[in-house]
Amino acid sequence: MGEFLQYVINGLALGAIYSLVALGLVVIYRGTGHLNFAQGEMALFATFGAWWIYDRGVTMWFAVIIATVFAFIGGAVIEFGLMRPAGKKSPLAVVVVSIALFQGMNSLTNLVFKESSDGVTFQSLFPNEPLDFYRLSGETIWRFQDLGILVTVLILTGGLFLLFQKTKVGLAMRMVANNPDSAKLVGVSTNKTLMLSWGIAAALGAVAGAMIGGLNANLNIFTMFEIFLLSSAAATLGGLDSPLGALVGGLLLGVIKSLVSNYPKDWAGSGYVNATTAVAAAFVIILIVLVVRPSGLFGSSRVERV
Amino acid sequence: MTVMLDVKDLVAGYGAVQVLEGLALHVNEGEVAVMLGANGAGKTTTMRAISGMIARKGTVKFLGNDITTTAPNEIVRMGIAQVPQGRGTFTDLTVEDNMRAGAYIRKNGSDVDADMKEWYDVFPRLRERRSQKAGSLSGGEQQMLAIARALMSKPKLLLCDEPSLGLAPIITQELFTILGRLNAEHGLSILVVEQNANLAVKIAHQVFVLETGTIVASGTAEEIAADDIVRKAYLGY
Repeated sequence: MGEFLQYVINGLALGAIYSLVALGLVVIYRGTGHLNFAQGEMALFATFGAWWIYDRGVTMWFAVIIATVFAFIGGAVIEFGLMRPAGKKSPLAVVVVSIALFQGMNSLTNLVFKESSDGVTFQSLFPNEPLDFYRLSGETIWRFQDLGILVTVLILTGGLFLLFQKTKVGLAMRMVANNPDSAKLVGVSTNKTLMLSWGIAAALGAVAGAMIGGLNANLNIFTMFEIFLLSSAAATLGGLDSPLGALVGGLLLGVIKSLVSNYPKDWAGSGYVNATTAVAAAFVIILIVLVVRPSGLFGSSRVERV
Repeated sequence: MTVMLDVKDLVAGYGAVQVLEGLALHVNEGEVAVMLGANGAGKTTTMRAISGMIARKGTVKFLGNDITTTAPNEIVRMGIAQVPQGRGTFTDLTVEDNMRAGAYIRKNGSDVDADMKEWYDVFPRLRERRSQKAGSLSGGEQQMLAIARALMSKPKLLLCDEPSLGLAPIITQELFTILGRLNAEHGLSILVVEQNANLAVKIAHQVFVLETGTIVASGTAEEIAADDIVRKAYLGY
């Protein structure tokens, strides 16, 4: 039992990072109806930015906050300069531009940060010495870093929830997600709202990047690829238009991945389950969920009376 | 009498398809103007062109200001609220959030709350269902919500695009009674576009008849009712 709990705890930290990237995907999907393929690679660039700022001799928190602010601006600029002109052409153009952006941000990272191909050591945001943990009971421990990641993600999700539900900006974002034409008719600038959505998504990505860097103690050009893959799966699992779904979907995937990569190994004695198998198992579970509930766990299957 | 909305030589359409070919109409302050027209005549296009939802040429003047190139989210700030065809309800939002959405251009405060109370009094069903998602409302309730939402922006002019669409006759009747009251009791100027001519003409001061992109007849409600051709074609007697 203690062992099970430990695997769950380990999975929650990674899952929380999936949740954060998935939240970014959901924020953009709700506004535009498109999956942002570049979500992970945009975060990669921002996280290397944070590493570069940290390298100048400031604290990691400061570096990540600065990088997040720049990511927010960068996200808004990408919406304004790339996605909006593409959207005027056709929905397909948006998909193509977003795939190009995925490749482009990766190459840009490589170009600007030469160290990215070999990878760099990434300082964790949270205390991460060998003895930095709480002992829950017996051998079950909760590392400060894992706990810090989970708490940060929960706080950000809660903040996002309040923004959506309690502010006028949030109301505008929900209006644009639900009915862009009507949003215009009541006075919402859909352009500004979409820029804001992209900014928020990019900022969430930057924070997620810093946390996965800290968790791996390493950051390289491939870091965000698998994260993006699993996060988009988490968003799909939760229902692409549901922030709560993104949170739950991410945490679930993290825990599933942790359990699958640990348990069969124990059962088989010395058997070895690599990360890829765990990912495959996660995808099988998603497939089953989507067969039963095509709109995801919390996604709204649109029912309208006319 | 002041002309509130003055539309001249209005040309608009979708892409290469031109729907309106030099349309002219006006709404006087404190009056109800009704535009009649069959399917495909260009009624909805006219409404969308006035509120800025589609590109248009010609002149659209509101209270003396040229709004021909103004964006829709600015036009609503000037005092024109549109109830779009098919209601345009925010189906995933609650009734109350839809009402708050209508007041988006106003500062949150006690007068917004007071207005919401006032419109809930006019549309009591909306108050009963205020925490329900708008998508779960019946067609008639959604139409009432669409009108109440438009009123939340404190408009000077209300544009109503075929409010009777898909509604039972008794509900349509109730709607037009309410529109008539809004005009009579609140002094609201209204432009209604309708196929259901009989009901609409009853509350109208001015009537415009639209056929394939141009106004073919116009006049006071009495004049239009006295015009044999128009009466036969649109009022059916």
